[in-house]
Amino acid sequence: MEEVISALTRDNPRQVNSGFWRIAAIARNAFREAVRDRVLYNLVLFVLLLTGASIFIGELSGGQERKVIVDLGLSAMLLFGVFIAIFVGVGLVYKEIERRTIYAVFSKPVGRGEFLVGKYLGLCLTLLVNVLVMAVGVSVALMYVSRGWDPLILTVWPAVLLIYLELMLLTAVALLFSSFSSPALSALLTFMVFIIGHFSADLKSLAGSLGSTSARWLFTGLYYLLPNLANYSFITPAAHGRAPAPGFVFATALYAVVYITVILAGATLIFSRRNFK
Amino acid sequence: MALTAVVLVGIAFAAVLVRWTDTLRPAPDPNAIDENLYVNGKTARRISLGFNGLVADWYWMRSLQYVGRKIMNHPDDVPLDNLGQLNMKLLAPLLDTATTLDPNFLDPYEYAAIVLPSVDVQEAIRITKKGIETNPNAWRLYQHLGYIYWQQHDYQAASETYGRGAEIPGTPPWMEAMKAKMLADGGSRATAREIYTRMFEQSSDDQVKEMARRRLLQLDSLDQRDGLRKILLAYQGRTGKCPNNWRDLGLSSAPLDPAGVPYVLRACEVELDSKSEIPGK
Repeated sequence: MEEVISALTRDNPRQVNSGFWRIAAIARNAFREAVRDRVLYNLVLFVLLLTGASIFIGELSGGQERKVIVDLGLSAMLLFGVFIAIFVGVGLVYKEIERRTIYAVFSKPVGRGEFLVGKYLGLCLTLLVNVLVMAVGVSVALMYVSRGWDPLILTVWPAVLLIYLELMLLTAVALLFSSFSSPALSALLTFMVFIIGHFSADLKSLAGSLGSTSARWLFTGLYYLLPNLANYSFITPAAHGRAPAPGFVFATALYAVVYITVILAGATLIFSRRNFK
Repeated sequence: MALTAVVLVGIAFAAVLVRWTDTLRPAPDPNAIDENLYVNGKTARRISLGFNGLVADWYWMRSLQYVGRKIMNHPDDVPLDNLGQLNMKLLAPLLDTATTLDPNFLDPYEYAAIVLPSVDVQEAIRITKKGIETNPNAWRLYQHLGYIYWQQHDYQAASETYGRGAEIPGTPPWMEAMKAKMLADGGSRATAREIYTRMFEQSSDDQVKEMARRRLLQLDSLDQRDGLRKILLAYQGRTGKCPNNWRDLGLSSAPLDPAGVPYVLRACEVELDSKSEIPGK
């Protein structure tokens, strides 16, 4: 955090007065702190080991090694990405409050929203690096099994993009909960949102099948309020060599941007009213 | 140094303990392998949270392990398409769950068409038809369904199925030919040869290819044995008795079956040696 404070007290007034530079400084610091966390390396290493193991597991699959590699590699990427997003995300703000470094940050001309957005972008950058490493691992495993170029690689990367968008959404949710709640409760609530987000299709059909109007409105409201994470799950079609349509990717990316903006705005609203004393 | 010794000696001692514990462990319950599945396909799909492809892979591998374990525990060599004697009650639920979790996963449908008919033909037909519903452009599923009907000697249904498959763009022309052949000559060896030849060429599963190869050897053997029976009948007609050995028939040694194993002469019949890989039935 000392690097952030020194960046915020630079002699260049253009940099200090610009919100973009303040956010960039906080994001850079959040990225550096996250990549120093050994837990991250262990999780990424574990995913790479799982991807390597999928080559051997695939030999039990009756000739379906490529499918198993994609299914296991991308599923591990999503699951462990969720763990990283949740457990690092809920600690982003909490650690600053615990260490009292947050007072030093807010003694400078940094808005609470800038602080949150910077932290968020730093973790997104960390997740991007992790996801890229894991995706390269899956691609290398496919090339090893195919003894050269595998056309399945071309469908894996769009699925990886969708997984990354889902992780960005969950990170924002984790940040929202951590702006007013303890880390343990924030982690639990974020994980519940992950689970319910994948049940969104069931929420919609449940709303349609209920007799009571108020219950129908409640579940319909929940369907639109909670993030629809099922749209980002393209692992199984990718394993069958099907890439998402460009229009679909654009729509889901736009949804992610809008939803993240709403969540970060809500988190800023809550965080700005918070008293750290 | 002392700590290193503790680690090394401890690991060695733990390995010895594991071997001793293995000898004391009670024998596994032979019925445990056939315990019913607690979660059906639809529920498994719902609770898989987007990991349905991976869970489908697990159920698929579990199906293969289930069949493999049953075959290995059986004393005799059992062909893949004749496993009815092995009590495979879980195979249909396992394949059904795998295909419910991932309806576009084609290999379980092929396995259901080849292996399941001897266990539960109605389930085999239902699962294959389910595959056709969710993969209408997969002409191979029509090939598999047609194979099931052909095995059941329902040549009319087999012909219609091959015909529907032949209408799909990109289908090889032999599907249309198979439609006609089923109606004209469904029960013949020539049709059987065509079916197993296509199965061997098209399948990506090594077990299915091996089964098809053995069935083709069986058809060749049936043709050979027909020829040898003619020789036997001729000998019987001349001498009024059965030959004692192959030399009586004018052959210096026993003729070999297509797998390279000598035939056995028993009374007035030519039979496959039990050591031959060619299926008896």
